[in-house]
Amino acid sequence: MYRRILVSQQGSALRAWTAVLALMLGLTLGLAGAIPASAQQPIRIGLQGPITGPWALEGEMAVNSVQIVVDQINARGGVLGRPIEIVLGDDQGSPRQSALVAQRMIAEGVVAVISSYGSSITEPASLLYEEAGILNIAYGATAETLTERGYQYFFRTCFRDDRQGAFFAELVRSHLGSQRIAIVHDNTTFARGLAEAARSSLAGVPGVEIVFYDAITPGERDFTATISRMRTQNPDVVYFTAYYPEAGLFVRQMRDAGMDAVFVGGNAAVNAEFIDIAGLSVATGVLVTQEPLPTDLDYPEAQAFLDEYIRRHGAPPTSPWPVYAADALNVIAAAIEATGSTDSAVLANYLRTSLNINGITGPIAFDAKGDRAGAIYKAYVVDAQGNIVDAGI
Amino acid sequence: MEIFAEQLMNGLTVGSVYALVALGYTMVYGIMRLINFAHGDLFMLGAYVGFTVLMTFFAQSGLPLWVILLCIAFAAMAAVALAGVAVERAAYRPLRRSHRLTAVVSALGASIVLQNGAMLIWGPRYQAYPAWAVPSTRFEVFGVSMTSMQLLILAIALVLMVALYFFVQRTVLGMAIRATAIDHDTARLMGIDIDQVIRLVFIIGPALGAAAGVMIGLYYRQIHFTMGWAYGLKAFTAAIMGGIGNIPGAMLGGFLLGILEMLGAGYISSAWKDAMVFVLLILLLILRPHGLLGERVAEKV
Repeated sequence: MYRRILVSQQGSALRAWTAVLALMLGLTLGLAGAIPASAQQPIRIGLQGPITGPWALEGEMAVNSVQIVVDQINARGGVLGRPIEIVLGDDQGSPRQSALVAQRMIAEGVVAVISSYGSSITEPASLLYEEAGILNIAYGATAETLTERGYQYFFRTCFRDDRQGAFFAELVRSHLGSQRIAIVHDNTTFARGLAEAARSSLAGVPGVEIVFYDAITPGERDFTATISRMRTQNPDVVYFTAYYPEAGLFVRQMRDAGMDAVFVGGNAAVNAEFIDIAGLSVATGVLVTQEPLPTDLDYPEAQAFLDEYIRRHGAPPTSPWPVYAADALNVIAAAIEATGSTDSAVLANYLRTSLNINGITGPIAFDAKGDRAGAIYKAYVVDAQGNIVDAGI
Repeated sequence: MEIFAEQLMNGLTVGSVYALVALGYTMVYGIMRLINFAHGDLFMLGAYVGFTVLMTFFAQSGLPLWVILLCIAFAAMAAVALAGVAVERAAYRPLRRSHRLTAVVSALGASIVLQNGAMLIWGPRYQAYPAWAVPSTRFEVFGVSMTSMQLLILAIALVLMVALYFFVQRTVLGMAIRATAIDHDTARLMGIDIDQVIRLVFIIGPALGAAAGVMIGLYYRQIHFTMGWAYGLKAFTAAIMGGIGNIPGAMLGGFLLGILEMLGAGYISSAWKDAMVFVLLILLLILRPHGLLGERVAEKV
């Protein structure tokens, strides 16, 4: 997109050429004068996330987490002797806003971008970054389709949904012992992807039947109609794959309607705000399938990170995603340090072929598609004090 | 059959809220031929003011619940009525003589100001009304289960609507409102202060919206600064369905919309319910361009 604009401007007239020449001359002179100073110039890295909007809690935790890593890196002298500087972009959890933020990031000339939370939000931004040739690493975008597009510059530090769907099927088979499953998603790229992954994994489990499979609308508050319909099918487990603002209302309205089926949330459904919205008495006992929470990572890097996070903000992050954002910055910094370059093509090539570091969330390496190698899922449960703890199953 | 009755009850509850908000749209349109796009955000403001009053003054008061609810509802209605008058003064009155589109753009601007103002004051996160403030007794009537909150919403909405109807039809001020809706110039010649009438409409509409906001906050217990948009759009649709500018029309439109939505979600799919509602609106506008009850001049406002 960016290149197209440049081309059309150059192809206009002779006068334009003179202007370009003058500009180049000016740039050369300017650069020559600026070289000594640029050694200390910060490396600017974009962070795109839902800082306001329905997912503001996730955006806030991501900013907090990334800032800790920035301070750690700058305290040990930066990368290539240059400090890291973060350029914030608020995509408000909206695909349209996400594209605008991506355009701004490209115009700002950032070296790489950490982007973003929500698969359908990450999708349009990653397209623009790909066209502009800027390395972008997603931290909360797990839809399988994202890395199936053959992109050169897109990576993610989080894992893919297909593994989580299989994990849910395993949970149903070995621990819940249930036969009638309801699956509810919200038609966004991520939630539908996870719902479909769960459905296809469950197809292989004997004695289990999917009795209800439907979508709700994001931003909706009243799910009573869907719930009444679901109740007639009498499921004993409800798997909710959409996001926490709706999840909290959904489970409460389910209980109000007298349904006592086990509620299992996907990895975007449960965090501190979910418990606020649902109310503690309803949230207690809710199960979650998700990546290990920051508090359950037993790597030394994780412990140091968590201590610092608690020191600054009083409590650990209540969802897995912010730590993946922090690790995205670790990845970018490691790649710049190793290659001595800030060129996205060089960095992307390095990530795909040689990167192997110990991040906060464990060892990080990428496969050819840009997906992270390995995957761990755990079952969590909300306890009576409102903490999200290892379910021990 | 129980399922059907339950969906009907859910639809009536939501529909009564739509109807209250729709009244604000329709009254302003009746008087000024203006779609007040800030109205949905005044509704949102009501939910937040109610929440703040509840948390600051009544968190440990130990007063009976109905006293608390009455207090927060009146506080929200008063505060939002003030905000409504302020919006009219700042965004609409200076543009009274300019083109109608100018006022619409100004309305959108007012909406953005209110939304972002709320975000700055209360923050971008969800706020949750505490569970103790919500009457949540559940009981069954002829096998249909409903909560006391649902009945309360329905009852309060009906009382407010009946009161408004009699106010507009039977009082001198109501007559002034009706006269202004029919013809500004003639009304002025009859000695009616048009500015006062407009101000009155901007007190009544937002106050009803605020009451609806508090009820939605209590019903779903989760409020957010962007919630005005969704409810505003639905209520606006309800006003159009009933025939914009027509008070009984807005009430009918609100109930109809709520019931259709719930039945659609209950029997087809909730992912399609908005699409179905708007397809129905389009069909209705093709067959009856002035809405169900029409824009009959004699009963306008």
